Amino acid sequence: MQTFHNIGTSTDWIVMIVYFLAIMLFGSYFGRYNRSTKDFFFGGRRFAWWLIAFSIVATGVGSHSFVKYSAKGFEHGFSSTMTYINDWFFIPFFLFGWLPIIVYSKIRSIPEYFEKRFSPSARFLATILLMFYMIGYIGIGFLTLGKAALPLLPETFTLFGSTIHITLMGVIIFIAVITGIYITFGGQTAVIFTDLLQGFVLLFAGLLLFFLGVDYVGGFGVFWDLLPTEWKLPLAKFNEPSSFNFVGIFWQDGIAGSIGFLFMNMGLVMRFMATKSVNEGRKAATFNVLFMLPISAIVVGNAGWIGKAISVVSPEIVPPNTSPDQIFVVVANIVSHPGVFGFIMAALTAALMSTVDTLINATAAIYINDVYRPIKTFFKEKTPLNIKETDRRELVAARWSSVAITILGVLSVLVFESFPTVYEAHGYFHSTLTPPLVVAIFLGIFWRRFTPAAVITTFIAGVALMIIGANYPAQLIGIFDHGIEMDPKHPYSYIRALYNIFVCIAVAVVVTYTTLQQKSIVAKLKSKPDGTRIIYSLIAVSVVIFLLVVLNILPMMLTLILILLLLLIIPIVSTYLIKYDEEAKTIGLTAWSIAKAKEMFKGSKLNEEEGEIVKVHWRMKEGEDDTVNLSENDMKKMKAEIGDLVYLCDARKYMGGLKSIHSVIGEPHNEDGIVYINDEQFQNGVFVENRLLTAEKEM
Amino acid sequence: MISFFDSWLPFIYLYGVGGVLFTTGMVLISKSKSLDLRKKIHKFWFKVLIFGFIYFMLIHGLFTIAALYW
Repeated sequence: MQTFHNIGTSTDWIVMIVYFLAIMLFGSYFGRYNRSTKDFFFGGRRFAWWLIAFSIVATGVGSHSFVKYSAKGFEHGFSSTMTYINDWFFIPFFLFGWLPIIVYSKIRSIPEYFEKRFSPSARFLATILLMFYMIGYIGIGFLTLGKAALPLLPETFTLFGSTIHITLMGVIIFIAVITGIYITFGGQTAVIFTDLLQGFVLLFAGLLLFFLGVDYVGGFGVFWDLLPTEWKLPLAKFNEPSSFNFVGIFWQDGIAGSIGFLFMNMGLVMRFMATKSVNEGRKAATFNVLFMLPISAIVVGNAGWIGKAISVVSPEIVPPNTSPDQIFVVVANIVSHPGVFGFIMAALTAALMSTVDTLINATAAIYINDVYRPIKTFFKEKTPLNIKETDRRELVAARWSSVAITILGVLSVLVFESFPTVYEAHGYFHSTLTPPLVVAIFLGIFWRRFTPAAVITTFIAGVALMIIGANYPAQLIGIFDHGIEMDPKHPYSYIRALYNIFVCIAVAVVVTYTTLQQKSIVAKLKSKPDGTRIIYSLIAVSVVIFLLVVLNILPMMLTLILILLLLLIIPIVSTYLIKYDEEAKTIGLTAWSIAKAKEMFKGSKLNEEEGEIVKVHWRMKEGEDDTVNLSENDMKKMKAEIGDLVYLCDARKYMGGLKSIHSVIGEPHNEDGIVYINDEQFQNGVFVENRLLTAEKEM
Repeated sequence: MISFFDSWLPFIYLYGVGGVLFTTGMVLISKSKSLDLRKKIHKFWFKVLIFGFIYFMLIHGLFTIAALYW
């Protein structure tokens, strides 16, 4: 396979450095909008849908990367777009299930949902799995960044007389340092705004490359005719080759990946939570999936298609055996002029950095919410701190955890480095790490009967079944392979998602449907004087079994029998130890009680009458009262009542909600067109004097 | 010549299995009243959801036809 080095000119490097500095300055300007951990992580739930929709582009495009889709575009053609246009099947579940639940239940992280819906132990296990997922995702991002940067660099350089080889890991560590510095001082608002800018730049750069490439090969007609028919099909071949086939990718990406991306990717979920309302979040998600993803599919994959076309007519310029992961850089360099190439590369690497820093920010949020705070609560401090001091300490902890997560992300690259392309590494990662959480979140939202015992057993016995599947792929995953040939080096990278989802669902369903039997066994155990001792013995047995499965030291059948034993023990232990009230634990936390969730969010009865949005000038008021006061007439127009939630926002639409606050309507006055706010609200909204605001009743 | 197995079967599988999942989602959110079709704004969202499914089906269908016959 042919690899490239030293691509690009000094002009390109100057353009890249200037671009990076400009982006970092732009981001740090918005860092001043972080006044608390809420702002640092969530951007203060204030933004308009369009701003979030465009800021997601850089996250989505970055994470799905120019590198890996160009690689598949070069190897297989237009079917590289497949993964960008197969997300719609789960949109109903997301828009009307998960999104309102995460917003209205005021959860700050996905594991927190598991505590509210199930139990603290379910949250603990979800935290472990989610941290694995997020850190793995960061690792994939770093790997892609390293592979994108490597062709630009020389093979070696000389420092103080000694020759140093530039390695992939060396490049990744260097990039990680820059990324870590940026995210540590930026926060979510900075990320949203840099991503917004980069979203536009990326689309422009990707489309520019497409037009330059088509022009280079002699126009669209020539380009179309040069590609073989199978390169033009939008979906891959059904079940071959094992490195890229439709059915495997459908289960890995269309199912596990789509749910993982929409439901589990805290980076994305936090973006939707940064919109001013659930409806704005829906608009952002819909616009993104309907329009931005198909455009992004062209933007990220076209270098591969152009590369293929050039390799057909001029194999001396693009050899057919070019390393697929380098094709993007190679084609960009061929079809563009010096400077333009630098701009395209800067856009690509900056977007990848956006993805990585979004994920680091999100993982830090999980750490603060699901590790730091529970530990602090457990070891109660003798003199409780005030809110401001607590928040200051959390912000410091968030910044340090960002650094630690960056290091772990770099280390996780070692796991994925052995795959031939980033695409396969990402596919393997999705198939392996998403199914247990995906199944747990999904059933948690839509199935009221789903119990803590079932979710915990899914996390433990489900994972054990996944591990045995990974150890015996031919015997276990092979049953689901749809005729895909097994690659002994990386067996069933994609279709393993189907096996993993199947075993996790099977465990969840079986345990839920046997709840009565578990309760009856637990009742008998509780009536025994040594019941608790039996339970602790069973926990010890479970730990031993799980370790035996992980170490893979027993024959397959014996391991399977032990996992079945695990399937019996864990539900009983969980039912024994966890107090669970189905009624209390499902209200407002499943799709069946969204209205109730909304009411709980507001804290009083809903007022869903549709009113007008009024324009008002703001004035400061004295005192600590944290409501805002509008005139009686304005409230009538808004069809608002005292106690309703209101959203005040700078009237300039292009600000996208950056200067805005949420509050509660207090006692009215008689000055029409005026809203009274307190000092805290003024500071949070970063309002400008004499600028008009809009006042919108939320609920 | 591209076989049916590699041209139209992926399309049928995608919108067959995907369609079952999509329909299940629509039924679940409607039955749970999370999507409350008595509300004007939810009626709009219902149409958007259906439109999205057809829109993607058309993109894939038309591209398959273009690849095979154009």
